[in-house]
Amino acid sequence: MPAIAVDAMGGQHAPEAVVQGVADVSLHTGIECVLVGDSARIQQILEGVAYNPEHIDIVHAGEVIGLEEDASEAIRHKRDASLLAAIRSVARGRCAAMVTAGNAGAAILGGLSEFALLPGVHKVGMSSVYPRNVDHPGQDPLALALDVGATVRCDPIDLVQFGVMGAAYARVISKVEAPRVALLNMGHDAGQGGAELAAAHRQLAALAGLNFVGNIEGNELTSGKADVVVCEGLLGNIVLRLLESVANMAVDLTVSTAQRNWRWRAGMAIMSSGADRLRALADYASYGGAPILGFDQLIIKAHRRSNAQSIANAVKVAAKAVRDGAVREVAAAIAGSGTPVEKKKNHR
Amino acid sequence: MATDARLVFRWDLDKTYLQSEFETLREMMRIPFEKAEDKVAAPGVAALIRGLRESALSRGRSLRVYFISASPPQIGRAIRRKLELDGIVYDGIVFKDQLHRLMRGKFRHLREHVGYKLTELLKARSTEPPGTAEYLFGDDWESDPLIYSLYADVVTRRVDPVELEALLRAIRVDPPLIAQARALAAALEPDDGVRRIFINLERPTPPAQLRGYGPRLVPTFNYLQTAACLYDDDVLSAAGAVQVARSLLEDSAYSPERLMNSLADIARRGHLRPAAATTLREALGAAGVLPAPAPPTLPERWRRWRSRRREAVGAIAPLPGIDYRTMVGLEIPADATTE
Repeated sequence: MPAIAVDAMGGQHAPEAVVQGVADVSLHTGIECVLVGDSARIQQILEGVAYNPEHIDIVHAGEVIGLEEDASEAIRHKRDASLLAAIRSVARGRCAAMVTAGNAGAAILGGLSEFALLPGVHKVGMSSVYPRNVDHPGQDPLALALDVGATVRCDPIDLVQFGVMGAAYARVISKVEAPRVALLNMGHDAGQGGAELAAAHRQLAALAGLNFVGNIEGNELTSGKADVVVCEGLLGNIVLRLLESVANMAVDLTVSTAQRNWRWRAGMAIMSSGADRLRALADYASYGGAPILGFDQLIIKAHRRSNAQSIANAVKVAAKAVRDGAVREVAAAIAGSGTPVEKKKNHR
Repeated sequence: MATDARLVFRWDLDKTYLQSEFETLREMMRIPFEKAEDKVAAPGVAALIRGLRESALSRGRSLRVYFISASPPQIGRAIRRKLELDGIVYDGIVFKDQLHRLMRGKFRHLREHVGYKLTELLKARSTEPPGTAEYLFGDDWESDPLIYSLYADVVTRRVDPVELEALLRAIRVDPPLIAQARALAAALEPDDGVRRIFINLERPTPPAQLRGYGPRLVPTFNYLQTAACLYDDDVLSAAGAVQVARSLLEDSAYSPERLMNSLADIARRGHLRPAAATTLREALGAAGVLPAPAPPTLPERWRRWRSRRREAVGAIAPLPGIDYRTMVGLEIPADATTE
């Protein structure tokens, strides 16, 4: 199996959590990972944990792009940054995909400088997974939302392409034959949300081969009604962050309430498995990562607060996407969607 | 090391030579009933032992291969047959007489191997000519890192017989074995005999946990890493290392990438010198085991020259003393004696 490049220095808990995550993967799977970053530091962390060196290579990169750094500045001035070196290792064929929990903007700009857009794709879309209720047994408990930050505003055609790309990716990863695609809007009527959303609705509904289920409102996001939720980056980012904070707030409230008196504590003890489930659902960092779709190569963006488990999951997602030809599937879906193919400049 | 010094390779059996499974009682109970054909050698280990013998013989060096096991002698027949099946020529094998201990009611000592192994090693050392170079092979399941390091330091007299006795008492070794170990240690001529101790990371223990034993102890994840270090020590030929790599590829479904990563890891951990890593990588490439490395660029050639020069002029760092008192996890007064 081709290797997965992992930006060892990206994320709030890097490099410790990243190296530990890759070490865990090396023990339990046959996935080969290339850790990119400060080789001496990586080696030092690695030697302190259980790992299998047969599945790990280390490539030195002397610079780090911080999470809060200006992405375009960093891309220009930190050519030896771990994130860029990891992207280059994919562009040059050493690795088949890359995983980073680092600066999302730098990952997108790095991808734009080293990879090509898939034929016909106007803008890349950054996706994210989030927990939702399941309608039937076997349904993936996670839904995919895109775009969640690669763009600010989008044309209708961009939203359509996000739907097509997201559906193709979900088909490969979640093994859903016809993923349900919905457009995030302020009402169910096709004409709501302004001219651009109405146009996007019309075009999505007209696309043969896409299981478009119409508009979805904010309160339906976690209902299991849609497998892929399409929105522009600004809105997607706000919604995802809000979901995350609500989930965290629910956990905090539950814990603080239980501490007030012994009866509530006893009640919580009885409901502890439910509370654990709530905590697990609220732990966005443990879901692994989701792809930046639209490149001819694969970048999996993990949560910036990723822990070791999250990184391990992100690497597994990357390996699965490579094995099952996710990029090829997305390219074929775009080519078959009949969306306009004229190239436009990709911008944030 | 004198080039004509006798080479001795001492191997543990379970989890080092053999892929023994005894994590559960059921697995443990099954071992005595296993046939030789059922026993599985660790990937590459048989090729390595054969390669060591061939390398020594081709250079006219005297070589001995011994096995030391904490298993009962009742499984000896199956073990000997297994070694024969693997084409291993060896000079001796020792088993722990569990039945004898059971008869003495020493149930605790059934699982205590420090005293047993140490005395057996010291006994064996006392029969070797001075200057014999030893390589020891164990695993991270029981106490091999402690036993082998202690043995090596007793042989050099870094740990004197009195200190040895105090340590063995602290870890509650069977008293007759303590007396025997002390007597054997006192009779030995100090000799810097043990060159390296290889610990097969079967569990796998993080290498940093074994750092306290110093650079003489090399934690390895597979037998290509071990072979690479022995190649670096000039006791295994490049052809021998190629045999090990080929065995891993052909018999154990390793990929060239896994082998390359293994070599890079052992070099990064400082147990394989960069120049040796480069020449070994070239030898493996030339033999078609690994993809041939790209010809070195000018800066790469310069880096190699610089690293070879550093290795040539650099003084060998003295082996740091091992803090056995802390390692055995007990407070032992520094002046503890038998009296």
